[in-house]
Amino acid sequence: MSGEAMTESKAAAGGAKPRAELGRVLRWGALAVALLIVAPFVLDTYTVNILIRALFLAALALTVDILWGYTGVLTFGQSAFFGIGAYACGLVFTHYGFGPGWAVLALAAGILAAMAVGLLVGWLAFYHGASPLYASIVTLALPIVLTQVVFAGGRFTGSSSGLSGFPTYYWDLEVWFWIAGAFLILVTCLAVLFVRSDMGRVLVAIRENEMRCAYLGIPVSRIKILLMVVMGGIGAVSGFGYAAFTNVVAPELTGFLLGTELLIWVALGGRGTIIGPVIGTIAIDVTSSYLSGSLPFVWKLLIGIAFVLVIVALPQGLLPELGKGLRRLLRRQPAAKPAPELRPARSRVVAAGAAAPLVVEGVARHFGSLRVLQDISFKVGRGELLSLVGPNGAGKTTLIRCLADGMERSGGRVVIFGKDLGRWPPDRCVALGIGRKFQAASIYETLTVAECLRLARYRLEPFSLWQASPILELPEAALRIVSETGLAERLDIEVRHLSHGQKQALDLAMVLALEPTIVLLDEPTAGLTKTERERIGGILTSLVERERLSVLLVEHDLDFVRQISSRVIVMHQGRIVLDGSVAEVVDSELVREIYAGSGHEPAPAGGTA
Amino acid sequence: MSVLILDIVTTAAILFTVATGLMIILGVMKLINFAHGAFLTIGGYAAYIATVAGWSPWAAIPFAAVVGLVLGLVVEYVIVRPLYARPLDAILATWGLGIIIGQLITIGFGREVQFVEPPISGAVEFLGLSYSTYRLLLVLVAVVIGAGLTGLLYFTRFGLNARAVIMNEDLARGLGIDSTKVRLATFGLGAALASVAGALITPLVSVDPNLGLPWLVNSFMLVLASGVSIPGLMIVSLLLGGAQVVVSTYVSPIIGGLTIVVLAALILRLRPQGIG
Repeated sequence: MSGEAMTESKAAAGGAKPRAELGRVLRWGALAVALLIVAPFVLDTYTVNILIRALFLAALALTVDILWGYTGVLTFGQSAFFGIGAYACGLVFTHYGFGPGWAVLALAAGILAAMAVGLLVGWLAFYHGASPLYASIVTLALPIVLTQVVFAGGRFTGSSSGLSGFPTYYWDLEVWFWIAGAFLILVTCLAVLFVRSDMGRVLVAIRENEMRCAYLGIPVSRIKILLMVVMGGIGAVSGFGYAAFTNVVAPELTGFLLGTELLIWVALGGRGTIIGPVIGTIAIDVTSSYLSGSLPFVWKLLIGIAFVLVIVALPQGLLPELGKGLRRLLRRQPAAKPAPELRPARSRVVAAGAAAPLVVEGVARHFGSLRVLQDISFKVGRGELLSLVGPNGAGKTTLIRCLADGMERSGGRVVIFGKDLGRWPPDRCVALGIGRKFQAASIYETLTVAECLRLARYRLEPFSLWQASPILELPEAALRIVSETGLAERLDIEVRHLSHGQKQALDLAMVLALEPTIVLLDEPTAGLTKTERERIGGILTSLVERERLSVLLVEHDLDFVRQISSRVIVMHQGRIVLDGSVAEVVDSELVREIYAGSGHEPAPAGGTA
Repeated sequence: MSVLILDIVTTAAILFTVATGLMIILGVMKLINFAHGAFLTIGGYAAYIATVAGWSPWAAIPFAAVVGLVLGLVVEYVIVRPLYARPLDAILATWGLGIIIGQLITIGFGREVQFVEPPISGAVEFLGLSYSTYRLLLVLVAVVIGAGLTGLLYFTRFGLNARAVIMNEDLARGLGIDSTKVRLATFGLGAALASVAGALITPLVSVDPNLGLPWLVNSFMLVLASGVSIPGLMIVSLLLGGAQVVVSTYVSPIIGGLTIVVLAALILRLRPQGIG
């Protein structure tokens, strides 16, 4: 990430938009603080008492929301981190000592232990290619394992009855209320800023389409692991506070059932919103406490029914639905996200080494005994636009896949500017200079056009954790597509409202915004009108001519291939059968035979348009 | 030593029997039924009702099957059907269903532990040892269930349709297979199997509203580690169930309770597709 870009975007942040966001959060935070100060004087002791517990649990629920609601990691195990914090408090105060120093030590130990466990869980669960279910399996195992560890701890952990009666601070109830409330308000405000920042959009992108994120150079696994670690730490702080206040730690605090309850609170309140889970947790927890005496089973039954109804019918949760209803009642439109200002990115000087941009040597791919690619070898020079043609099933897309993900090929070597691709995952391949566009437009339906474009800049620019940048810098080629296809006027529109052609154009602009040196395009013009196709053809040829990029294009439309290519490779049944200039290949007898099969009409060399 | 082997084999048989209902639903519907534990509990209470009504303990098993089947069909229609495209949400909705069933049972029968009449009690001489007749019988039951499911999948019209849906649901639909019906039948079958398993384990565990919970987690882990296949589930039940017995016997029962969960999670890290 370049330092210059950092200072520049900071200077630009002097503009009104991010500050407005911060101001809004501060205003709401101040209101919450005012409520917090007054509340203990208005409410009765019992309510304050149960509210304190609910406030600590709400902070924990927020961590579940960030992981599950925003990032799409269904975690059953957030209770484990809560339990670690709680046991750090109970164990240190019971066995080692009590006092300000010990309290700080216990808290630090709890946070560190939780973060270490978070790191282990993240490393286990978030490897490249892991299924989303595997994270759920690991986070389900975690609280079960921890609970058994507590059981096995004998007198040290208090086994199944836990620890109680250890020395703690017997402050007035108001003081505990203010501590718990201040902690929750702080966590909530930080969470709001975080999820609305540029980094917060990355989380949503991971939830919507994790694979595409990897092909935009976003290190998905590392981000998820870090998130797990930080959320674990926050969970430990709430557990510590909870234990220090209640003066009891029990195995239930670390258990799988609390983990599932957190999911219920977040789902009912509204996953993927910040305030929903907070209010959901507090409301359900306080009501539970009131009804646990009179109607314990019926209340839990109602929660179960509400949970199923919400998951089936209102997956966004109750609070967002209420908000929608309220807006309809007041006839207010939801506030549009402000569009950032487009600017050309400073062009980066590409090292002009002697090495060829792309060398493919003997690449093979088989699935069991099925050989999809065999002995594929070719070179691509700078400023070449190489088209890959061949009938369906020839292995073109498989070849593209082998060039953009080091794990894909079964044999052979891919060398990019002298560097071996090895077994690197797609996000590392992007760092080598590869940009891949998928056959079907694969973008994020719920993000805006500007947000999608910014995602492609992750590798090149610093992403703020607490604000949305008002500037969007794009390289010239991407800017050209954005302005020529009318996307520039639609930056604040959610992608699902775009036409098919605009989606394809946005997808291509995202690939070019990566500033790749080798562009892999899988049928970029499929389903486009003739004008759209010609525009894209023009942009591609000028990229190759002016910026000397190497473009590898999979294409069926031989007309289009003839117009823009500098060289053509013909593939058939997993092998390269021809490699030559446009004239040599397009008019060759072999190509006609392959395309039409012998004895049929000649291939549509000039007739598909 | 022989006792250990018998313990391993009978434990594996019990785990296999308990997990099949979850597996058949995951295999055909690609859906994880977290209400599986609640269906086990329902089976346990079906056996309890049979005891209270004074029926033969053997009658508890068909009774549990019918209750499970009917409930499974209703649940598929009402809750599961809208969630086909949202697999993670289906886990949550079926978990919520489990809460509902658990609370209804609590309200109906109370939280206390219930007594159920076992079909057979006592021990038999086997390989020169005196061993629980009922546990040995469960090995036979597991073999019958495994063979029955294999037969159902490979020698019936339903099995052919189900296998078509497993391999490629869109194509199966294109060939005129009513995949909605296959799904409905599968969920009913899975729920009935779970309920029967719940009735079968009642002589070994106490019947209370949370009967199914520990079995749910172990079944879930075993089914995923098995690679969702009948022989795979047999192998995994033997391996991980065996490890559980060995650790419980020689190390500690508390750590033994973790063996399946931890080993399955590690197996899946090394082989994400399971051992099958």
